[in-house]
Amino acid sequence: MIRIQLVDDEPNILNSLRRLLRRDGWQVDTFSDVEEALDGLLQHDYAVIVTDYKMPMADGVTYLKFAKQKQPDAIRLVLTGHGNNEAMAKAIHQAEVYRYLTKPWDDHEVIATISSAVELYQLQKDNRKLRNENQALRAMVKARDEELLRLEADIPGITRIRRDADGSVLLDDDASYPG
Amino acid sequence: MTEPTLPAQEQPSLDARLEQANRQLLQSEKLAAIGQLAAGVAHEINNPVGYVYSNLQTLENYLNDLFRLTDAIGTSGSLEDLRQIRDNIDYNYLREDLRDLLAESREGIERVKTIISAMKDFSHIEEEEFRLADLHRGIETTLNVVNNELKYKAEVVREFGDVPQVECILSQINQVVMNLLINAAHAIEEFGRITLRTRLADEQVILEVEDTGRGIEQEHLNRIFEPFFTTKGIGKGTGLGLSLSFNIIKKHNGEIEVHSQPGKGTLFRISLPVTQPSEPLVPAQDKEKPI
Repeated sequence: MIRIQLVDDEPNILNSLRRLLRRDGWQVDTFSDVEEALDGLLQHDYAVIVTDYKMPMADGVTYLKFAKQKQPDAIRLVLTGHGNNEAMAKAIHQAEVYRYLTKPWDDHEVIATISSAVELYQLQKDNRKLRNENQALRAMVKARDEELLRLEADIPGITRIRRDADGSVLLDDDASYPG
Repeated sequence: MTEPTLPAQEQPSLDARLEQANRQLLQSEKLAAIGQLAAGVAHEINNPVGYVYSNLQTLENYLNDLFRLTDAIGTSGSLEDLRQIRDNIDYNYLREDLRDLLAESREGIERVKTIISAMKDFSHIEEEEFRLADLHRGIETTLNVVNNELKYKAEVVREFGDVPQVECILSQINQVVMNLLINAAHAIEEFGRITLRTRLADEQVILEVEDTGRGIEQEHLNRIFEPFFTTKGIGKGTGLGLSLSFNIIKKHNGEIEVHSQPGKGTLFRISLPVTQPSEPLVPAQDKEKPI
C-alpha cells in the first residue's frame, strides 16, 4: 500500500487535498501538527511526504530535513504560497526536495506531481531490491566458485567431468577416489 | 523656538501647513505599512483560495457522479442497476463529504471576506472624525490584518476587560495597535506570546500590548518615539511607526508609555480618555510635540 503524508497547519487544505487524492488508491495520512507528523514517521513508511512551506513552530524545510533522516526513501515535496525562488532553492538544497507545488494549486498538477513522486519511489525501491538480489546472487556464485576451487586444489580433476560420444559420464579406472 | 520672531499673520498658515504635513506623513506611513502587509495578506488569502478552488473541482466530480445516478433512473431497467451505480460512485461517502466540502468552502470564502473588509477598514484614510467606537472591534480588525505576521511568531492572548465605547478616530487607533503588534512580532525571535489587555481606570481606557520578545535596550528606550529612529534592518522598518503612534495618541489627549526589560519583553500602555474634552482636536495642541 502506497502511503502519502500531508502536513499543513490548515486543516481545510488537508481535507481538500485528501479529497483530491482519494481516487488514486493511495492511503493518505494528514497532519496539521508537526509533532504528530513526526510521530507518524515512526509508525508508517511513506512513499511521498508533502508539507506546507510556512508553518508555526517549524517550517516545512526543517520538517523535511527531519523526515529525510527518519525516512530517506520517501520522496519529499513542498507546497508553498510564496513565489520566493530563493527560499525554494534553499529548500531544494537543504532537504533535497523533489519538486514544489504552489498555492493555490492546480489539481491536475498536484496529482501528476504526486504520481510521478510515487513512481520514482517505486522505481528506487525496485532498483534497491534488484540490487540486493543481484548482490545475494553474486555472493552465492562466489561461494560456489570458491568451493569448486578448494575441491580442485584437494583433488585435481574432480571438478571436471568427461563424457563419451553418447553423453555417458566416464570414470577413470585408475582414479583413486577416497570412499 | 522661532515663534516670537514670526510676524503674527504667518502663524496660522504655518500651523495649517504643519498640520497638513502631519497628515501626509501619517498617510504615507499608513500606506507603507499596508504595502508591507500586502505580501502577508496575499499569502493569507492564498490558503482559502487554494482549497476553495480545489473543492469546487471536486464538487464538479461529485455532481457528475450523482448525475450518473439520476440519469440512470430514466434509462436503467431495474432497481438493482441503480443500486450498482450507487455503490460504484461511493454514494455514502459523497453524501457525507459534500456537507464538509461545502462548509469548509464557505469558511474559506468568509475568511477572504474578513481579510478584505479588515483591509478596507484599515485603509479608511480620510476618516478624521472623533466618534464613539468599540476598541475591541478595532483590535479584532487589526488582528485580522496582521494575522499573517503574528501567527508564526506568537500566540495572541486577549485579556479584555469591560470597557465602554471610546470617543476616538478608530482607524488611527487601529494603526497604533498595528504598529505595536508588528513591533512585538519583530521583537520575538523564535515563538512567543503577545498579550492584549484592556481595562477601565478613572474614566480612562487602558490598552496594553505586551510581548515576550528581546526587549528594548536602555539607551534606546528614550529614543523610540523619535521620528526615523529604528533598530530594524534596512527595508524592515521606516522608523516612523512609534513616532506616529505617539502623535496619534497625543491627538486623542491620551498617553503612551513603555516598560521594557531586555531579554524579557516589552509592555506598551496606552491610556485614552473615554470622552474627548469639549473642544477636541485643535491644531495648536500639537505645538508641544511637533513631528
